[in-house]
Amino acid sequence: MRRLLLGISLAGLSMGVAAAQSGSLTSSVVKTKQYIVFASDEQVVTAGKKSTVELHFKVNDGFHVNSHTPKSELLIPTNLTLQPAAGVTASAVEYPAGTAFSFSFEPGEKLDVYTGTFTVKIPVVAAAGSHTVQGVLHYQACDNAACYPPKSLPVEFVLTAKAAGALAR
Amino acid sequence: MRRVLILSVMVVGIALLLWAGWHNLRERRLAMQQARDRQVVLIPEKQGEAGEQAGEMPVMRGKAAPAFALTSLEGKKVSLADYKGRPVLVNFWATWCGPCKVEMPWFEQFRKQYAAQGFEILGLADDVDAGKDAIAKVASKAGVTYPILLTDGKVQTAYGGLDVLPMSFYVDRNGVIVEQTAGLGSKDQIEANIRKTIASGAPSQAGGQ
Repeated sequence: MRRLLLGISLAGLSMGVAAAQSGSLTSSVVKTKQYIVFASDEQVVTAGKKSTVELHFKVNDGFHVNSHTPKSELLIPTNLTLQPAAGVTASAVEYPAGTAFSFSFEPGEKLDVYTGTFTVKIPVVAAAGSHTVQGVLHYQACDNAACYPPKSLPVEFVLTAKAAGALAR
Repeated sequence: MRRVLILSVMVVGIALLLWAGWHNLRERRLAMQQARDRQVVLIPEKQGEAGEQAGEMPVMRGKAAPAFALTSLEGKKVSLADYKGRPVLVNFWATWCGPCKVEMPWFEQFRKQYAAQGFEILGLADDVDAGKDAIAKVASKAGVTYPILLTDGKVQTAYGGLDVLPMSFYVDRNGVIVEQTAGLGSKDQIEANIRKTIASGAPSQAGGQ
């Protein structure tokens, strides 16, 4: 009985802490005037082996941003640039395909955009250990009636590379 | 003793759980509310609503339009003071802004329609990276013949920072901003604002000045 009570208590505690930490994709962004939120999940890969890091972004409800390959050269593409990090070799960033979108006042013109959540993949090879990788997501957002100047969203994540045996455990 | 300890841990755990749930709910409601507020600002349903509820955007209505002297696409120096005594629409736009390009042909039409009243439009291209050629190409495609000016980074600040495009300021013949709008409005709203600007400070209303 005591064990059960203790278990319930600890579960409650951990759930409480988890709930307090979650919502990184739903937290208010108005303060920083960003229209995309980045989920800074820890990335764990096998040391010395080619792996893929997935970065998750969420476009605020009611907004859209151009995809990496918008249909007009005048539009500003979503683009992620990473700073070199010691012990990490990153290959070209892989972007998801966008979805078709057109403004209600201009139904004939199709745009290629990201809405909701989208995931960017980065092929990496990392040396054993923990590495902090920094970068910037450059994007330009619009809603149904207006557009917003291009923004730069700082991106930072911790990449932990473990030996193959350690990862299996 | 153990029982007290277990009970204490339980109480703290439940309290933390409740607090976290309440905190998350509050954050979510706040974010939704702010998103809703922003939506109201950008998609006005009634004339003159845009700007009035523009939360973070400073209200320029009733103030003197900030002066500027900028270079046109043709390389000519153009200042707002050149148009003193005339109603002017100062419109900020960008090549990457779809809604901006929708209203440009409307502006061109209204410019011709109200030319007899001295009405003029100045299109200020708020483009940092686009070259002059790209700006000229977009303006030409929209059929624009009114002056397109290249911004200098300072004029945007003078007009409140411009976090939204298109942004329009309707300046009467006395140099006072009589209306400001953020986002794309309807053609009727734009015309109503132009008429209001032309009427504001007109000689008959200003006691024959």
